[in-house]
Amino acid sequence: MSVVQSDANKINANAMKFDWPVSRSTTISVLSVVIFFLAWQIAPELGLVNGRFTSQPSKVYLAAIEVFRTDNFLFHARISLTEFVLGFSLALAVSVPLGALLGTSRYARLLLDPPLMALYIAPTLILLPIMVIWLGIDLPSKIAVVFLGAIFPIIVNTMAGMREADAQLIRAARSFGANRFDVFTRILIPSSLPSILMGVRLAVGRGVLGVVVGELYVSQAGVGHQLMTYGSAMRIDRLLVYALIISIFGYTLTSLVRLLENRVRNWRPQ
Amino acid sequence: MTQIEIRDLRVEYKTPKSDEAFVAIDNISLDIEQGEFITIVGASGCGKSTLLLTIAGLVNVTSGSVTINNNTVNGPGRDRAVVFQDASLLPWRSVLGNVKFGLEMQRWKDDDIGERAKRFIKMVGLEKFTDYHPHQLSGGMRQRVNIARALAVDPDVLLMDEPFGALDAQTREVMGDELMNIWERDRKTALFVTHDIDEAIFLADRVIVMGRDPGRIKEVMKIDMERPRNAAMFESDEFAKYRRRLRDHLEEDMASMHLVTEVA
Repeated sequence: MSVVQSDANKINANAMKFDWPVSRSTTISVLSVVIFFLAWQIAPELGLVNGRFTSQPSKVYLAAIEVFRTDNFLFHARISLTEFVLGFSLALAVSVPLGALLGTSRYARLLLDPPLMALYIAPTLILLPIMVIWLGIDLPSKIAVVFLGAIFPIIVNTMAGMREADAQLIRAARSFGANRFDVFTRILIPSSLPSILMGVRLAVGRGVLGVVVGELYVSQAGVGHQLMTYGSAMRIDRLLVYALIISIFGYTLTSLVRLLENRVRNWRPQ
Repeated sequence: MTQIEIRDLRVEYKTPKSDEAFVAIDNISLDIEQGEFITIVGASGCGKSTLLLTIAGLVNVTSGSVTINNNTVNGPGRDRAVVFQDASLLPWRSVLGNVKFGLEMQRWKDDDIGERAKRFIKMVGLEKFTDYHPHQLSGGMRQRVNIARALAVDPDVLLMDEPFGALDAQTREVMGDELMNIWERDRKTALFVTHDIDEAIFLADRVIVMGRDPGRIKEVMKIDMERPRNAAMFESDEFAKYRRRLRDHLEEDMASMHLVTEVA
């Protein structure tokens, strides 16, 4: 009797179940974003918050059009992008070889590991005022800050990747007569690639932070400079446009590196 | 013709904690004929892998010497290839890429590497898996790749360090059988470390029994059974006789080991 009863309940439950058009989790996520924007739009109208401080999605949208049309956006973006690209390329060029050296030489590690660790853990932005004193308020000091921010995560992760390479693989390679260079190019580099890319991904975030904070601190142009200008002018709408642009830039770049990371990781067993 | 000559070989390892070196093997002398299949058995810690890796040139000789074809071994060389217990395959390379790896390291000419690798993949029965990556293969298949990689470089001496040690009993037997078939084709000199007594007898022309503290040769046992060998031999009286003798040897060592652990 009780079995029949519970079966009947089950059928009822199935019949009542709502058939979601998209997956349930996606629906909920989208809904939460929609509600957020609606609340943001309506709250100032209803007098619940002061619109001067919060702005509104519609105003941010209009501000975005203004920014792209009349704010010399490309000029500022180009300056910030130049700082980022130069600083980051320089960091890549120095950090990967240095990390490889540290990963393969015990003496280099003994010599350089303590200061490197200290610099990795400390926020390199504390060096920003010194960079400005040494290099001035224009591009060079920002490039230096990006460089310093990006270099340590790549060094540390490259080093770790090289050190974690499978000793059995190295032994097998040596048994076939591989020399040190073969071991480095055929075993160490491929096996540490995922780790190197993880370092690059972390470095992207730090590099973007370097540009923005560097320009916020002192500058004459650039995206960070615009942030500062609109911050002091209380133009929340334009300020948010720039914040959004920076986020999208950082997010896109990080995602691209992650994509690459997944590609080189896919030979790994789950 | 004698191909491998081992004279008064001693290998010490430096231990990181004490200044005293650990003697892995001592006082080992042995001549191995060309085309002989030698298996090495012994309780764990008797230095059987050390002996093999020393011949491979991957472990340094402390004193004494190893010569192959009258050349003193002081590093890995083209005349030898090693099959490790851990398949040691490059996880980012396919089966084909892995078999090519040994050839590339030995600087074979580019144009014949691919064809040659494929031939050996076929020999170990993996032609359908040429483009698979190691993590897609079973343990037995990985070991086949490992063997193909070693055979492909055409070594004079094939060194195998418990190649089937990590496989289940059934796969192990099949692999042993196949190894015999492959070996029968050109009868290369082979050294094979194992702790499986039946495997040791089945494969060998001579079984080297090693003892421990320090690692040394206790007995060299000639296996007089005709080739090619087959699974029926496991049941023969001869096989039983060899098995009993080897077991006695190993149990002796096991007994002394138990004593040591009890005291400790």
